[in-house]
Amino acid sequence: MGSARRVAITGIGIVSPLGQSLDEFHAALQAPRSGVVRLPEEIAKRTGIQVAASVDWDASRHFSAGEAANTDRVAQFAVVAATQALTASGLDLAGADRDRVGVYWGTGMGGATTLEASYERVYGKNDWRARPLTVVMAMNNAAGSNVALKHGLRGPFANFSTACSSSAMALGEAMRTIAAGRADAIVAGGSEALLVPGTLSAWYALRTMAPADPEDPAASCKPFDKRRSGLVLGEGAAAFILEDESYARSRGARIHGYLSGYGNTCDAAHLSRPDRSGQARAMRQALAEADLPPESIGYVNAHGTATAVGDVVECEAISEVFGASAVPVSSTKSMHGHLLGGAGALEMAAALLALEQGILPPTAHLEQPDPACTVRHVARNAERIAPPRAVMSNSFAFGGSNVVLVASRD
Amino acid sequence: MSTLDRIKDLAAKEFSIDAAGLDPAAPLDTLGIDSLSFIEFMFKIEEEFGVSVSDEDLRSIKTLGDLERHVAAALAAAGKT
Repeated sequence: MGSARRVAITGIGIVSPLGQSLDEFHAALQAPRSGVVRLPEEIAKRTGIQVAASVDWDASRHFSAGEAANTDRVAQFAVVAATQALTASGLDLAGADRDRVGVYWGTGMGGATTLEASYERVYGKNDWRARPLTVVMAMNNAAGSNVALKHGLRGPFANFSTACSSSAMALGEAMRTIAAGRADAIVAGGSEALLVPGTLSAWYALRTMAPADPEDPAASCKPFDKRRSGLVLGEGAAAFILEDESYARSRGARIHGYLSGYGNTCDAAHLSRPDRSGQARAMRQALAEADLPPESIGYVNAHGTATAVGDVVECEAISEVFGASAVPVSSTKSMHGHLLGGAGALEMAAALLALEQGILPPTAHLEQPDPACTVRHVARNAERIAPPRAVMSNSFAFGGSNVVLVASRD
Repeated sequence: MSTLDRIKDLAAKEFSIDAAGLDPAAPLDTLGIDSLSFIEFMFKIEEEFGVSVSDEDLRSIKTLGDLERHVAAALAAAGKT
């Protein structure tokens, strides 16, 4: 990054199917424990989707009844994750110049619950009077805006909606904004909450959804396994406090690591079929920006959605970039499902377990690796290594967007 | 329960404020109710009472007391009182 400022990670907040704090999330990844469950029978029957990784959510723990009713689930997740992250960072907002603290957020679908409720009323009940808050609850930037509003953050604001790479892009762009000196700190992350019947049925129509594992529904998502049968949707949020290193040091903040590399490419090849060269270019870009050779990466959190084609193409791209270095790879989606717009941020939080503690979270349920997925798998159980110099997280999206992040220890 | 009490109860729930302390003559903004929140609240009032308040009437409502009068008039016009 040359003379640009380094960007420190000083706080992380998690709302996930594996718990609602960084510690709970890391404990589940390490166990390993899956948050994938069977959906209620009537939803499964109507939508075709049998399993998902949902958040055990009680809005009344965080919001008044009025606030909860007027804030979409995706924004509720965002506010709670961001508040957790701010608290963990120790950043004293009362004493900070909040014109220089921003919010960069990512979400694929935005307020899906609100939109679906509105359509249900209009088409289902033939009642054409929509709730007045429908627009401001459903709009894609509402989650990030609610975070800014809650904490009075008046600095740079951006919302990214590039499907499964949205929150990874939010982190990467926030890193560059801070590195360029345009903000002291940014709350960056993403959230998704689309486990509602109309959206589920649209996903089912893509014919890439895993059915319930007949013996163990929690093991339905099997990335890189010969028996893999598709992806499992999840929901939740992850928020990072990213700070100018000198700003973080001046206030004595605990630094978890540095966001040091960001690759961003587009396949421009197909709307949904992944492309090895686009993915490999993004990984190389991220390494180049972090100024690190491939050997310094001690763990890759793969995109690994457990689709037939996607897992093979990603393994080929990883092998192309890392060559013989046999970097350990896992897909934690096997446990927390696919958070889509929230996935990149959540999975960078998973990768930090490797960076900070040398604990590599596994691809749970990976018992029969597909010979076409030739990478060095962290399979079934977590592994322990000496904390590596850096870790990588991949997020590859419908639309051909490829985002790769690198975090470094020092 | 009177129309005003029902409105106060709904407002207390919507805005997380104490119904007993609500002054029907207080301007809505002093109760912390901004224009967007009020439009959403009106939507719920219309549903609760089964009435419709025109945009023009809506603009003239500055207090919960004003609101009660409009709702009462709409109920009377619909023969619901």
